[in-house]
Amino acid sequence: MSAQLRVDIVACDGVGICAHLAPDVVRVDSWGFPILPAAPLSGAQERQARAAVTGCPRKALFLAK
Amino acid sequence: MSASLRILPDADAAGPALLDRPLHYFGAGGAITEVASDSLRDHRLRFGSRPLLGGDELIDALAEAGLTGRGGAHLPSVIKWRAVRSAAHADGAVVVANGAESEPDSRKDAALLEFRPHLVLDGLVAAATALDAREAVVWLHESASTTRAAISRALAERTDPVPVRIAVGPDRYLTGESSAIVRALSGGPALPAFRTKPSAIAGVAGRPTLVQNVETLARVALVARGFVPETTLITVVVGDARVVVEAPVSADLHDVVGRVSGLTPGAVLLGGYGGQWCAWSDVAGARLAEDDLRARGLSLGAGVVSVLPPGECGLARTSSLIAYLAEQGARQCGPCRFGLPAVADSLALLVRGGRRSRHERERLATFLSEIRGRGACGHPDGAVRMVASALSVFAGDVAAHRRGGCLMRWEPVR
Repeated sequence: MSAQLRVDIVACDGVGICAHLAPDVVRVDSWGFPILPAAPLSGAQERQARAAVTGCPRKALFLAK
Repeated sequence: MSASLRILPDADAAGPALLDRPLHYFGAGGAITEVASDSLRDHRLRFGSRPLLGGDELIDALAEAGLTGRGGAHLPSVIKWRAVRSAAHADGAVVVANGAESEPDSRKDAALLEFRPHLVLDGLVAAATALDAREAVVWLHESASTTRAAISRALAERTDPVPVRIAVGPDRYLTGESSAIVRALSGGPALPAFRTKPSAIAGVAGRPTLVQNVETLARVALVARGFVPETTLITVVVGDARVVVEAPVSADLHDVVGRVSGLTPGAVLLGGYGGQWCAWSDVAGARLAEDDLRARGLSLGAGVVSVLPPGECGLARTSSLIAYLAEQGARQCGPCRFGLPAVADSLALLVRGGRRSRHERERLATFLSEIRGRGACGHPDGAVRMVASALSVFAGDVAAHRRGGCLMRWEPVR
């Protein structure tokens, strides 16, 4: 319950797929890198976040409890 | 703490001073003040014999003395010590004296390493003993030949229960960042790492690792002798001159800056390149005690007070500082690789002024808010903090530059 989406910002290359897979969770900065909410995710957001974690080509995203 | 723990019964409870007098530096060179490096004999005469406290007794004394990290974070040191102590590891812990003083305006760590090497080493060895470490490291920049020689000489004079070695990293700003040190000592590059566990729990090669600034360790050595230090080392910077002074934490900024520089500055940068600009009138009366500064939303960081000399433009100065910070970034994460250069370019446009800079102030504000809190290490946050403070303290200059002038170095407005 109430997971948080986090990013290993060193591993992240700013590909930006996460923002498409989880539009209600991830927004991107001026350079295409993800800005993630500090607040815990709702159920619907968490489903999107899981897709983003799976879809990240750099394996940079993870869910933290 | 009970009086019986003091080994110099007639000395002040705060213990002997770290430095005898202010140390003057000019440019990139060594101290121009004539001070000799303490031999082991000098050291024992000055500070007394070996530390008395060890183990949990020392950790409790550090807590009681309220010792905080002098590398800039000012967190209570016992937090890290207790974390290392609780994270037992088959290969033992590692302790590191961080002497890679990266802040360009700071010289106090170099001063301690050069003139009081045994005090730093006493603190390092006390930490190693209290934390059952099998390895103790003094971490330096590779070009720091004077401090390295002082530590080598001191090590040759001593016999310690734990082997102490010197390790060095490249002459870069981030070489002194604690996760970069842990990564380098684990065999990797000296660059910050993304971590989910603090190095106190899983540091060098997965072993619990204490990384502590050298001034902090010097104070550990005093606390281990039963003293409660009440001073702080400050580097006051005016132009190319740097003066390292030891001041009581009860002194205020006016006492320190006035006495050292004789100037009444318009503005000062507190805490170094990653610190905050302040109007002098707002902070002249602030005490050096970190708690007091924090209550005002300020910090001296690694003890740096940089004076903006009268007649120099704070905005132009900020532009050169952010250009340096952008260049010195590890460029591993987006906020550092793209964000900081964008901030540097934007600020350069603001300084140049004129029509092209009209919307730059808003663009810069967006960049700053996007970068804040997102770096792998604290580097981007420090840079953003410094620039944001400049935009507020030098707001008048921003407007003046937009019109093609400058408040500090006044030029006719066309």
